[in-house]
This record gives sequence, C-alpha cells and structure tokens, in this order.
Amino acid sequence: MGNCCSDGGSGRAAIGATAAYPTIDGPNDAVQLFLSARGCHGLFSQIELSFSALGLRDRDLCSKSDPLLVIYVRGRDGAVQEVGRTEVVLNSFNPTWITKHTMAFQFEVVQTLIFRVYDVDTPFHNVEVKMLKLDEQQFLGEATCALSQIVTKSSRSLTLDLVPGTEAADSVCSQSCGKLIVHAEECIGSKTTTEIIFRCSDFEHKTLFSRSDPFLVISKIVENGIPIPICKSEVIKNDPRLAWKSVFLNIQQVGSKDSPLVIECFNFNSNGKHDLVGKVQKSLVDLERLHSSGQGENLFYPTSSGNNYQNKILKSQLFVDTFNESIQCSFLDYLAEGFELNFMVAIDFTASNGNPRLPDSLHYIDPSGHPNAYQRAVLEVGEVLQFYDTDRRFPAWGFGARPIDGPVSHCFNLNGSSNYCEVEGIQGIMMAYMSALLNVSLAGPTLFGPVITNAALLASQSLANSWHKYFVLLIITDGVVTDLQETKDALVKASDLPLSILIVGVGGADFKEMEILDADKGDRLESSNGRVASRDIVQFVPLRDVQSELLLYYISVWWFYCFLVTTLPFVGGEISAIQSLLAELPTQFLTFMRTRDIRPS
Amino acid sequence: MMNNRKSDDGFEMASMSNRVLELTVISGEDLRIKGKPIRNNAYAIIKTNNVPNATTKVDQEGGSYPYWDEKLLVDLPLRTFFITVEVRRRTSSGVGQLIGAASIPVSDFIGGYTPENYLHFLSYRLRDAVGERNGIVNVSVRVKSPAPYGCSTASATQPEMGIQSVDPGDGRAGGTVVTGMPVCFPHACRSR
Repeated sequence: MGNCCSDGGSGRAAIGATAAYPTIDGPNDAVQLFLSARGCHGLFSQIELSFSALGLRDRDLCSKSDPLLVIYVRGRDGAVQEVGRTEVVLNSFNPTWITKHTMAFQFEVVQTLIFRVYDVDTPFHNVEVKMLKLDEQQFLGEATCALSQIVTKSSRSLTLDLVPGTEAADSVCSQSCGKLIVHAEECIGSKTTTEIIFRCSDFEHKTLFSRSDPFLVISKIVENGIPIPICKSEVIKNDPRLAWKSVFLNIQQVGSKDSPLVIECFNFNSNGKHDLVGKVQKSLVDLERLHSSGQGENLFYPTSSGNNYQNKILKSQLFVDTFNESIQCSFLDYLAEGFELNFMVAIDFTASNGNPRLPDSLHYIDPSGHPNAYQRAVLEVGEVLQFYDTDRRFPAWGFGARPIDGPVSHCFNLNGSSNYCEVEGIQGIMMAYMSALLNVSLAGPTLFGPVITNAALLASQSLANSWHKYFVLLIITDGVVTDLQETKDALVKASDLPLSILIVGVGGADFKEMEILDADKGDRLESSNGRVASRDIVQFVPLRDVQSELLLYYISVWWFYCFLVTTLPFVGGEISAIQSLLAELPTQFLTFMRTRDIRPS
Repeated sequence: MMNNRKSDDGFEMASMSNRVLELTVISGEDLRIKGKPIRNNAYAIIKTNNVPNATTKVDQEGGSYPYWDEKLLVDLPLRTFFITVEVRRRTSSGVGQLIGAASIPVSDFIGGYTPENYLHFLSYRLRDAVGERNGIVNVSVRVKSPAPYGCSTASATQPEMGIQSVDPGDGRAGGTVVTGMPVCFPHACRSR
C-alpha cells in the first residue's frame, strides 16, 4: 500500500511543478483519473497465477493429451486479448503447469480472464510455445472467471469446469471436458512497506521575505530518465523543525530496493508554482544506509551553465530519521481471511428526475434495453463489488417518493417490503428498481440523512456479530441535497463506523455544493454539535455524459501526451469516473482496519 | 427514520455506571492563540465534571499541529454526561494558557449499537474561552471495564431514580407509561 501523506487540499495539487513539466493546478478530474489509474495513487498488488487441470479429454489416438494453457483477458469493450501461455506438458490428463502468469490486481474493474486448453500435436512438440498457431492445435476446453472471484476465496484457488466453448464446432461434448484449477498468490513485494521519516537541516531561504513551507516529492526514475512522482509529503507550515511525517513506500511502487529515486524538496506556493529548493538522488538501499549511519546527504540544485549541467551543492542536508520495513497485511490478505465488502444502494426518486414514462426522464426504462443513468451506475459499481459480498444480498432503498398509500418516504425498501430491505444479486436490484418505478410517485425534497442513518445503523449492528464486514453505500442522485447539515451530522456519526459512501450524481445539475461532502475537496465535515468527522468516508463523482467526459479527458491529456505516453504503460480503454471512486475503497478499508488494529490472523 | 429513543437510553445508561475508559489523545490541528498559530508546548487535560482527571505530556516541538498519541485511563464517575478535553499551552506561570476546549458526550461512545469494547475514533471542534472555533482535537476511546450487572445495550434498563423507561426491544408505539425527565443537552451545558 502506498500512502502519500499530504495535508489535504493545499498540498494535493502540487505534483511536478518545475519548468520541466507543466503544473497541475486545482481539481482537474480527468488528469487525476489518468494519473491515479496508472499507479500514482493506485493500489496495485501483483498476483501470480498458477494452473493445473484434472480430467482432460483424450483427443489423441495413441497417447494421452499434451496440454497447453492459453490465458486471455477480456476488456470492457468485449475485446479478447491473449496475455500469456504456459508450457506444454507431455502425456498427461491431469497436468500441473510450471509457468505462472503475473498480473496486477485492480480493485476498481472487473478483470475477466478466459482460459483455453489445447492439445499440442506431436509434430509441434519442438516448436517454441510462443510460435504455436492455436488453430492448428486441438481445442480441449475453455473456462472463464473474474480475478476477484479467485482472490476472495479463502484458499485462493478456484476450480472451474471446462466447457466446449464456441470453437468446438466439431464435437458435442458428451463427457465433461475436465476441470481447471487456478491458484493466486500475492507477490511478496506488494506487502513490503517502508516507513521513512525525512528531516532537513540548514534551510537556505531563497529570499528575505519568503516563508518556507517545504514539502517533499519522491519520484522514481524510468528508462528515459524522466522522474515519475510516486509519493508526496505534507506541507510543513510554520514549523522551524523541518521534519515531515512518515511517508510510506511500497517496494512494488518503487520497483525494487535498488531503483533510483529522486527526492525533491519544494517550497509550497499557493499559486501552484512551487520553487525547487534542492534534490537528492538515492535508492532505498542508500536511504537505509543513511539512516544507519546517521549522516545527512547534501541537497543539490541543478543549474545549467552553457552546455554543462552542473549541480550546485547546497548547505542543506537531508537526514533519514526513521527507516522501517514491515510486511503489512494487504487488502488481499484480509479478503482471504473472510473479510467482506457489503454493497448497499439508495436511489433518488425525487420529482426532478422527470416523469419515468417520458423518454427524457432520468428514470426512463428504454424498451431496447439500453440502461439509463441509474441502471448504469448500479451496474458499474455493483458488478465490481458483488464478488466481495459473500451472500450477494444487497440492501436497496429509494428516497424522495410517495409509496402507494402513504406519505413521502425518505428511505423506503426498494423491494416494496415493509420488513426487510435486501434483494438478491444485482439482478434483484434492477428488478426491484423497475417495479418501484411503477409503484411510487416521485416527490421530494432530496434528503440523504435518513438513508445514511439507516446504513450506519446496519453497519454498527453488524459489529455486534463480527468485525469482518465493511459496508459500502452507493447513493445515486440527480440533484443537490437539501438537508446539507443533517447529512453532515449523519456522515460525522458514520465516520467512526465501517462504512464508505459513494455518491454518484446523474443528470445535468450543478453539483458544486455536493463536493463539500467529499473531504478531498474541502474541509473536514462538522456536525451541528461540534463533532468532526474522524475520517473521510464520502466520495462524490458526477456521472457525466460519456461523450463529453471523453472529450474533456482528451483535451486535458493532450499536452501531457509526449512524455506520459512514452513513460507510463498504456493500459488501454477509457477510465470511467466510477472506477476512480472504486479505486479508493481498498485504502479506506485498510485505514479503518489498521487504525483499529483489526488484522487477519 | 431516526431512532432517537436509543440515544436517550444510552444517555441514561452512560450516566449510571462507574466505568474506566481508555482514552488516547492523538493530536490537535490548527491551534492558535489570538489568531496566530502556536509554536510549541501544547498539552491536553481531560476533565470529568469539571475536575481534572488526566493530562498528556507536553508536545515541545509540535507547533500548531501537536501529536501526543498518549493513552490515558479515565475514571468515569456516576452520572457523568460529558468529558471535557482542554488543550492548553504551557506557560511559565504553571496554569497553561487555554487554547480551546471540547465537550465529548458520553453517548458518543457508550450506548448505541456498537459493541462495548469498540475502539471509537472521534474528533471534535475546539472552542476558545470566548466561544470562537479554534482548531480540532482527535481522540480515540475504548470502554475498558464492562458494564455492571451484565446489562447489554439491547436490554431494558433499571434506572435508580425510579423512572419508567421504554423497553427498546418493544416495537409497538403506545401502551407504556413514560415519565419525562429534563435532559442536559450538549449545547446548553457547554461551559460559559
């Protein structure tokens, strides 16, 4: 886990503010999404998959099958891409392949894997596996699963039935094609975290009147020599003692202990153009040595005179006061131990959505099957989170409507029942939603308080039974909340509970006020009786029209194109706003568990 | 759908038992004196019923964002509704200069649906001597000793003062006699 210790609003905007690359000022969602999806704040655990099979079919006349496994990934757009192959195991119906496949676990997307087993004929046995043409081999069977299905099992092994698939046009499989067993292991590098406390001495002030508000940016250097920021410290304000709080670096974010890192010290400027004070180039191994020797390293300031790049060595020195390596339990360790994420959803039924029978309403159910904004939000979040919920029973509520005989309710069960609020699976949410549209009359106003209080009640009640459950409430709304203070009160109370709240705004309303609820963009939430939220549990994102979001994304990223495209790996596909919401969840979960010292045993 | 009855019961229950709390004063944020951020020497005092109960060490270097992370054992006497956290700055005279104070209602961590030994992380707005907002204090609280008579939060309480309380498990609205009792609300009781 790579935590960047930043002090919220002011420090957050300041990555990469030297002349070499443009500044990122203020909330620029598209760029943040781009960077965070590529590892600057992401939680990428490396998973190693190993494979074996049982009971493969016998296709060869004279000998047993010689199976080969090919691994594919299906993207969001449905495109299937091959990502790896194992070796060929000779003469076996129950092969255990040695070749492993490593991939990054991404929490916020559904990573669909397709496995195909082929029997490699004898003439091809000496050909290199990569060169084999699959349509010349005999297809034995195929299996599909999501990566999250494998990692949420306590044994981290998933047994899948191999099916003939669409390719086996030649035979009807009367006997079973066998079983494939996929096992996942988390690479140890993902779990090793280094805690470092930096300190600076003898700060030289640039000008007589400048205050020093220093902060550090730690970057790793990639092949072209260009540094990519991986971590940022908080800004020290008004403190003569120049020691920052701990920064946590994950070995896997860095690459390896020997990878060169650049630690730059900037002076924070509220206009976003931060002055470089000096920098140091060290690897983690060098920092460890600095710590044990207690010595400091002089900062240098790169100056160019003519054709030579000379470095002006400054008096200021950087010290490493603390260097602690620890193996922390990762998110996947908690999952393997039986911890789960319980998904809950609340849908806005206020009149501002428009009459559901008219096509311009946000609640219009398109007969052609194209999902409306509400359905899209539920599907996108639900299909990722459903794997982390063991019983697949999701509480679903609506608010802001009048059920058939009754006053306006700000928290009614979507399934129409008065006793229980749960529905079965994502399909259950969809069906309950569509039937609720027929049975309630839209009203108002938009109040979140009752729904949040209800979710908090469920979360706190579950604590009596087990501490293994973490709740995620998805609120989909088209308008600005009316009871801002009551919502804040409910959120402050809920901040002490195992609950995270994702708010998705649909439609064209101006959601500026809603951003107050997301502490990333403002101050900590304060309730009406003086209590303050102890952690940030709310995230808000407007679900803009896909077209305009893509346009915004491309325009913002255009001028980063040159160096970003060459240095950062291109993952491909669009990044949706909802993915950025989900990407924060494992961190919120881990923070909650770690501060309360709840560990997987 | 706010269920206010639960918090009232918690209020009564919280005030009746002599409990021991493990209160960790973690840190303070944005502490100022006369509008200027303080440089050092902040410390926190925990008071119950206006009597000082425990004090943290002084953070000599922390500036306006002091970090104590000090675990204190606080005895919660009978009928205590609030714990007061005062953040002061050490001065040469002995009695520190008051930066701000916050009242933590005991019902924020006792009563309710969370289990008895749940570690609560709470943060409160500090207000200075004239009532202006002045920073935030972060604490964590865990109830150390279990409640007497093995009563759980879900069972009915037997108040000492002979007042009928409503059984929280009873979903029916009417049918039970309830006598009103004046309750001290946080904002009314806040120190002058």
